[in-house]
Amino acid sequence: MGDMTKSNVKTVKRKATRREKKEWVAAYIFIAPLVIGLLVFYIYPFIQNFWFSFNDVNRFNITTFTGLENYKNLIKDKELFQTLGNTLKYVVITVPVGLALSILIATLLNTKIRGTSIYRTIYFLPSVTMSVAIALVWKWIYNGEFGILNSILGFFGIEGQNWLSNPKTALYMVMIVGIWMTVGYNMIILLAGMQGISRSYYEAAAIDGAGPFKRFFSITIPMLTPTIFFVMITSIISGFQVFDTIYMMIPKTSLAYESTQTLVMMFYRYAFDYGQKGYAAAIAIFIFAIIMLVTIFQFIMQKKWVNYD
Amino acid sequence: MKKSIKRLATLGLLAIMGATFLTACGKKEENKDGGTATGKKTTITFGIWDEKQRPTMENLVSAYEAKNNNVNVEIQLTPYKGGEYWTKLEASATGGTAPDVFWLNTLHAESYKDGGILLDLTDSIAKSDLKLEDNYPKALISMYQFDGKMYAIPKDFDTNALWYNKAIFDKAGVAYPTDDWTWDDLVATAKKLKDAGLDAGTYPIAAPLDFQTDYYPTIYANGGWILNDDKTETGYEDPKTQEGIQIWIDLINAGLSPDLATMTDTSADAMFEGGKLAMVFAGSYMTPEYMSNDAINKNVNLVEFPEFNGIEPNIINGLGYAVYSGSKNKEAAVDFALWLGSEEAMKIQGEGGAVISARNDAQQYFAATNPDLNLAAYTNHSDIAFPLPVCKSSAELYDLEANQLKWAYSGEKTLADTCKELKAGADEILNKMNK
Repeated sequence: MGDMTKSNVKTVKRKATRREKKEWVAAYIFIAPLVIGLLVFYIYPFIQNFWFSFNDVNRFNITTFTGLENYKNLIKDKELFQTLGNTLKYVVITVPVGLALSILIATLLNTKIRGTSIYRTIYFLPSVTMSVAIALVWKWIYNGEFGILNSILGFFGIEGQNWLSNPKTALYMVMIVGIWMTVGYNMIILLAGMQGISRSYYEAAAIDGAGPFKRFFSITIPMLTPTIFFVMITSIISGFQVFDTIYMMIPKTSLAYESTQTLVMMFYRYAFDYGQKGYAAAIAIFIFAIIMLVTIFQFIMQKKWVNYD
Repeated sequence: MKKSIKRLATLGLLAIMGATFLTACGKKEENKDGGTATGKKTTITFGIWDEKQRPTMENLVSAYEAKNNNVNVEIQLTPYKGGEYWTKLEASATGGTAPDVFWLNTLHAESYKDGGILLDLTDSIAKSDLKLEDNYPKALISMYQFDGKMYAIPKDFDTNALWYNKAIFDKAGVAYPTDDWTWDDLVATAKKLKDAGLDAGTYPIAAPLDFQTDYYPTIYANGGWILNDDKTETGYEDPKTQEGIQIWIDLINAGLSPDLATMTDTSADAMFEGGKLAMVFAGSYMTPEYMSNDAINKNVNLVEFPEFNGIEPNIINGLGYAVYSGSKNKEAAVDFALWLGSEEAMKIQGEGGAVISARNDAQQYFAATNPDLNLAAYTNHSDIAFPLPVCKSSAELYDLEANQLKWAYSGEKTLADTCKELKAGADEILNKMNK
């Protein structure tokens, strides 16, 4: 015993000098706010959520272990597949369209035109605006009776409609708002990526006689793939988590309610409206699993198209 | 240059962080000082959610404190919107720090009782001079009574009435509604208004998909039902229930009310406040809202809910004052809650004008707050109003009901088909709840 403690002390002493120890302490103090934040607000709730998903949890967090009961019910729940379908539809449409628009706008703002910084600011504004406020304003734009959209359409002789009450249009209307909200942020990131591309490539290509389109598709896009990859990952994740705009824009009496409910909406209702936190936790784990699978798939596929040279 | 900017930025950030820390500490100390400076004073907290009622609640607190020198009541306001009040209450109850006395509504009463959050007030009430049975409407007592035990003191109640816009009636040359109206009179007048030619986008009445204010009163007046006494079955397939709903759909089909999609985009309340509706049904809690709107407040008045099937239809619902079972100052909390139910407290609340006081002898004050309006329409028949049907899964049931009935309201399905599906789904929720 004595020997062991001795040798332990020795190794510790040998490894860390006083100065090193001081540096360690300083380092830990510096990362502490972040690590503590992560532990308290992300890691612990995640573990708790995982535990809840195997329990029946009421409003007051009184838990009764039920094993896989929540998951069994979840797989049988028609609502899950409906919300999953709506969510997938949302992701599959908003991500590519949003990405294409962001690249287009970033390219246009990367040219030397007057007032680029003003345009950049304007495009970025939605990203710093509260989404609840945005949703309320768009709700008025889409209003069937008094909305500006129907007024504009009426000016061209097209008859408007109740966009947010029509099951055929409501989800697309929400998608437009979703894209409009995220284009600015993605544009800024893509723009930064574009400005990192060396001018000499373009000059060489121009000498070889490549036109602007050729240069865009043969230089800009390939060189931008790491940034595009990043934007795609973050957009897909936030697409799967879409909640606030739909929550604000589609009331429960809307005929489009079923066709616009997403996974997170379903989670929210069970957790906070119906007081069934265990079931809600299982939905959250389901969302987590889907996002993880999609993200892993993307990381595998990136080898085929992302260019890090 | 760059370095100094960086340094400045760092300093700025540090200053901000420091300031937050300081204020955080400052707040704590303030509380401590408050506790020590008042010596042996007991502090109890009082959870509420309505900003409009805050002044009245403050008046109540000061009246109570004036009588009880050794008690200090602290109001904690958490907004109702988005369920914030309940989320916070549930979290703090889990952590043992819920307010000592708090507002409770019927929707949450039973699950909170089951969760062991509510203190059983039966004995305290019996020992006091409150005389619940004599002084309060039965419907309100029953809302917070489970297995013969009382878990809250009734605070206020709301009923529904028919509001109308005099300007629209005058322009159309149609006589105003009256208290002795029947449902047929309502429909006939709505037709007259329509035939008189209202402005574009203006309707005689609205039939929104609103259970408490619109179709529940007529369902119950018609002898229909929503939930049986055992809370094991729903009554959507009863023809009488369906009749009570159908009369509203008929208003839409006859073009007397805007269609459901229009009312989903713009609520009936908003349309009425915008002068686009001649008549609208509204709960008593809408009174302050309508009267604070300068666009209509000089042109509106109200009458009783029109008689249907020979009965005065109405749904009564209300809040209660509950005491937290984990309270560290139970005695003081119970005393305060009981006092809130006293004649004196109920008078102060009634004169505040925001709500109708639950106590029989204090109901009159609400109508007296605005003599220009026929506010008695809300209280005239409150004694025979039906209590809002609730159970532990009400939130889920109301969602399902709205989601199904909207297909009947929009004409996509017949009411009978909708109700068949609705009953199946609702009974399944009840099964799950009773398991």
